[in-house]
Order: sequence, then C-alpha cells, then structure tokens
Amino acid sequence: MSIRQTDQPTIPDAPATGNTINQLDWDLLWERFGIAVVTVVIWLIAGLTTPGFANTDNLVSVLRQSAFVGVSAVGMTIAIIAGAFDLSVGSTQALCAWAAVSVAKLAGVFPAFAVAVTLGGIVGLCNGFLVSLVRIPAFIATLGTMFLVNGLTYIVTNGQTARFSGKPFVWWGNGQVMGLPVPSLVFLGCALVGVAILHRTSFGRFVYAIGSNREAANVAGVPIVKTTILIFVVVGLFTGLGAMLLGARLYSAGPGLEPGFELNVIATVVLGGTRLAGGRGSMLGTVAAAILFATLANVLNLNHVDAFVQRVVVGLVLLLALSVEGVRRRLAEYWTKRAARTSQASQPVREDQL
Amino acid sequence: MNANQPRSARVASSQVGLMLLIVCGAFTILSRQFLTPGNLLNVCTSASVVAIVGLGMTLAIASGNFDLSVGSTAAFAGCVTMSLVQRIGVAPAILAGLATGASVGLINGLIVTELGVPAFIATLGMLTIVRGAALIYTGGRDIYLYGQTQYKILSSGFAPVLLALALAFVLWFVLQHTRFGRHILATGSNAASARRVGVRTSLVLLGVFSIVGATAALSGLVLSAQVLTGNGRLATGLELSAIAVVVLGGTPLTGGKASISGSVLVAVINNGLNLLNISIFYQNVTLGLLLLGAIALEALGHRRTKQLTTP
Repeated sequence: MSIRQTDQPTIPDAPATGNTINQLDWDLLWERFGIAVVTVVIWLIAGLTTPGFANTDNLVSVLRQSAFVGVSAVGMTIAIIAGAFDLSVGSTQALCAWAAVSVAKLAGVFPAFAVAVTLGGIVGLCNGFLVSLVRIPAFIATLGTMFLVNGLTYIVTNGQTARFSGKPFVWWGNGQVMGLPVPSLVFLGCALVGVAILHRTSFGRFVYAIGSNREAANVAGVPIVKTTILIFVVVGLFTGLGAMLLGARLYSAGPGLEPGFELNVIATVVLGGTRLAGGRGSMLGTVAAAILFATLANVLNLNHVDAFVQRVVVGLVLLLALSVEGVRRRLAEYWTKRAARTSQASQPVREDQL
Repeated sequence: MNANQPRSARVASSQVGLMLLIVCGAFTILSRQFLTPGNLLNVCTSASVVAIVGLGMTLAIASGNFDLSVGSTAAFAGCVTMSLVQRIGVAPAILAGLATGASVGLINGLIVTELGVPAFIATLGMLTIVRGAALIYTGGRDIYLYGQTQYKILSSGFAPVLLALALAFVLWFVLQHTRFGRHILATGSNAASARRVGVRTSLVLLGVFSIVGATAALSGLVLSAQVLTGNGRLATGLELSAIAVVVLGGTPLTGGKASISGSVLVAVINNGLNLLNISIFYQNVTLGLLLLGAIALEALGHRRTKQLTTP
C-alpha cells in the first residue's frame, strides 16, 4: 500500500542502509500478519498443553464463538480504516437479534434475515446521515444513537425476551456444513466480501483515502458524504446479519443482549492491527483477532480459569498487543542513544566539527 | 477521531441552561411533586454521581484524551472501601478507595505515555481488567455493611451535591488559575507544540489520569454508600454516560472547559419522567435524543453562519 510511505517521514540525506529497510519491513510485517501468527502460535501451544483443546468439537465451537463478534467487526474494520467508528453496534445488535427471532417465529427464516439486515441498515443510515450531513463527530453521533436505539428496543420489546426454536432458524446459529459451523462460514463469507469491498471497489479506495487524509481526499474529488453514509450502512448491515446469527444460536434475544458488545468489536478490530487514526488496516487481522479472543476464552475455560480472571487476561492481551510497537520504539531510542554515547566516548569531538 | 471530523461540535452553555429552564418549567406544570424540596434534593443527588465522574472526564477530554475505565474504577474503588470500612475505619477506608482509583488512573497514564498506546485503547483494556479485578476482589458476591451509619454520610442529604460542587470549584480553579491547568489545555490543543515550548506532557497526562481515576473512585464511593453494598458490577456503562453528559454540558471533544449543567439536565429529565410514571425505558431515548438534538442544532447553526460568511 502506498499509504505506508506517507506515514513515515523520510529524513533527508539519511543513508539508505539495509538496516533501516529491514526495520521498516518488520513494522509492516507485524502490522499485517502479527496477530495471525500469534493466533496460530496460541493454537499450537494450547493444543500441546491443554487437554481437550485439539479435538474437532472444541475447535468447531471456538470458530463458532468467534463469528458473532467477527461479523460485526468486518463492518467496523471498514469504518475504522475510514477514521470513523460506531458505538451503536451493541444496541443495534440487540434490536436486530430481537427482531430476527420475533419475525422468524411469525414468518420464517428469510423474512427474519431481511428484517434484521434492513433494521441494521436503517440504523447505519441514520448514523451516516448524522455524521456526514449534520456533521456531528462519529463518536458523539453513534453514542447518541446507542442510547436512542437501546431505549427504543426496551420500549418495543417491553423489556421481554423473544424466544423461538424452529429448526430452520436455529440451524443458522447451531448447524454445520461439512463439519464447519454455519456462523463461521457466514463470517468467512463476510470477511471475503469485506476484502473485496476494500480492495476491488472504488468505495474501498475511497475508504482508505478518507482515512489517510480527509482533506486530501476531498480535494481529490472523493465523494465524502456519500462514502461516509455508505460506510455506516455497511457497518449496520453486517451488525444486523451477525445479530441474526446470535439470535439463532441462543434461540432467543432480548433488549439487554450483550452489554459492552460495541467495545468488544472495537477491541477486536484494533487488536487485528487496524489503526484507530484511520488509513490502515486489514481484514485478515480482524478475522485472526476474533478467533484469538474466542480461543483465549476457550482455553481459559478448559483450564478452569474463573470467568472474572478471564476478563483480566483479555484486557492484558489487548494492552500487550498494542504496546509492542511503543516498547520497540522505546528500545530503539535507547539503543541509538547508547550507541551515540559510546561513540562519543571513544572519539572525542574535534574542534573543527563544532 | 477528530482528524476525520471537522467542526467544533459543542453545545453552548446558554442552550443547556435554556433547556434546563424549559424542562423544569414543564415538569413543574405537569407534576405537583416536582417542585418540592425533597424531590429537588433527589434530582441533585442522582445528578451528582455522574457529575463527579463527568468533572474528571472533562479534565481528560480537555487534555485530548478519553478515559473509558471510569465505570470499572468506580466499582473497584467502591468494593475496596466497603471491605475496609469494618477493619480500618471510615476515613482511612475512604482514603484507600480514592488511592485505589488514583492508582488505576496512574496506570492508565503510564500505559498512554510510556507505552505509546492511544488513550482510547489503553483505557478500553483497563475497563476490562479493572472490572475483572473488582469481581475477583469480591468473588462476585456483594459486600454488605450492616449498621455502618458513618459511611452512609457520603450519600446522605446534601453530601453528594456538596462533593460535586466542591469538586467542580476545585477543578475549575485548577484549569483556569494554575500552571498545571494551562499545561493541560496546552497538551489538549497541541501536544507536540506543548512539548516544544517545554511542557512536560507526560507528567501532565499522568496527573490528569490520576485525577480522573480519583474522581471515578469518589463517584463509586457515593454510589456504594447509597446502597451500603459493594458489588463488582456497580456502575456498568458509567463511562459512556459520563462522556455523554460532558458533551451535553458544553465541553467540545477537542478540549475545553468544565461544565456540570449537562448532568443536572439529564437528572432533571429522568426524575420528571419518573414522577410522571413514564417507563424507565424512555430515559435512554431522551438521553440519546438530547445528545443528538443539542449537537445537531449547534452543528447546523455553525454551518449556516459559515455559509453566510464564505462566498
């Protein structure tokens, strides 16, 4: 990606030694594939140390578990690459899941699917409208719709949980195709669609452009308003789809479905290497991060680690992964300073150099 | 975030005041119980818990950062204090609670300044960690205090309101009349420039995050004193309410001033809806509508003046 180049200020007259180039490549590699590699390593370690991890049933359940946050995270990745983000996905998820379960009971699977996705799209449209035309910062706009949608869901549902266990519907959350869980297949499909959107469409290029430099994108003729609205609609559509899967998985959905879901989704995207500042990010990272979080929960469960400790571990993993870059920069600074000091000590500064 | 979003999205304090007057007037007409001393005290008490966190959050936002861990910190500090009251007495326990909050804040600050993690993510991680710590500390159970009337003093009568007002005064004074306050605003408006002119931004941020942690702890203490129960699940979601109230109170997300009118407004509306027997479900709807409505009015007004001035 050419975006990469604009991000690193080049020092004039800096010698292009092989060392600096390697240094930069490591950054890029870590950003692109770091989390995927970490996930694979954790799977290997878990397989060797945790009895019960490396059997098909368990792996299937890990993959299934990763899908519910993952589908929403696909949309959120696109939003965060564009430098926006959406705090309303938790409320939207509860609303869509409740609607999906209720409609599935009345009319069947495909109407449920349509209603969930449409509702998600409508919330996204509102968000996009508020951010692009009314010009409210995404953080505040989606914070507002978060409260609004949450309240509306409570009013519409009257605080009640909808339940439905019809076979064709719950298959979407619990079924398997060729040994793979249906939600994971949907998640995979969504991730591929996300990659296609980001790298094969003009919309995707606009997303990267807006995220790297909004003003420049505007000057270059990127339709900011249209793109922004579409971004939030995409987030809503994916969230609606993920919500339906979760409703199907649980056979039920109510207004207080998953408190803190929005922050989980954002954490997943960020752990996957997407920059909150925008302009950079990858779908592979998001998929890996979703699987990583699900794996962690699973491994900790298998080792009988208490649910409260699990929260601490999850937070620590997020902080560790995100501080790698800062720590490395600190170390590099330290080594350069040290090298400078030793070279100064060995060669006293000559007067003509001063 | 703000790189992508133009405009100063902020609510004018006069608007908040006006809305407050209108809402109070409407409730006075609609409900006979609204304008009674007892009820007004209720309004102020419930406003003060969020106001206390909001005040700390205002400082964080003024310095260009967020703290998402305040809800967890409030719960953790509440639990620590409740468990210590019986053993070491009320005042030392309260100090211990505040110290707990300040240390959580200090850790937030260290992660942000030393490890270079953006505040949003650093405090998001700490939200999960500290919540976990609170639940581990209590073992997921409630801590009750039987017959500890001394501790109840934190939440009885005018105490929460006085605490909030005193805190507002102190923080206002710090922001407007001290070097530390000016450094906070300098860091918030442009950290790189602030560093160039000799502001030690790392130290400033460490201070800010510690203060935010301590205020979060204080609100946790008030909350736990209200019910005389410590619980690891206390104050879930407080972080986003606090940010909403700060924005509603007229603090732009890009740095600015302190205002507690936002939390009073929200408390008045919630109280009025309760008195009118309207379902609690509507409270989030009103908060969302208020937030969006107020900011939208401001943003649209801003755009109109801009269109008028630019050819």
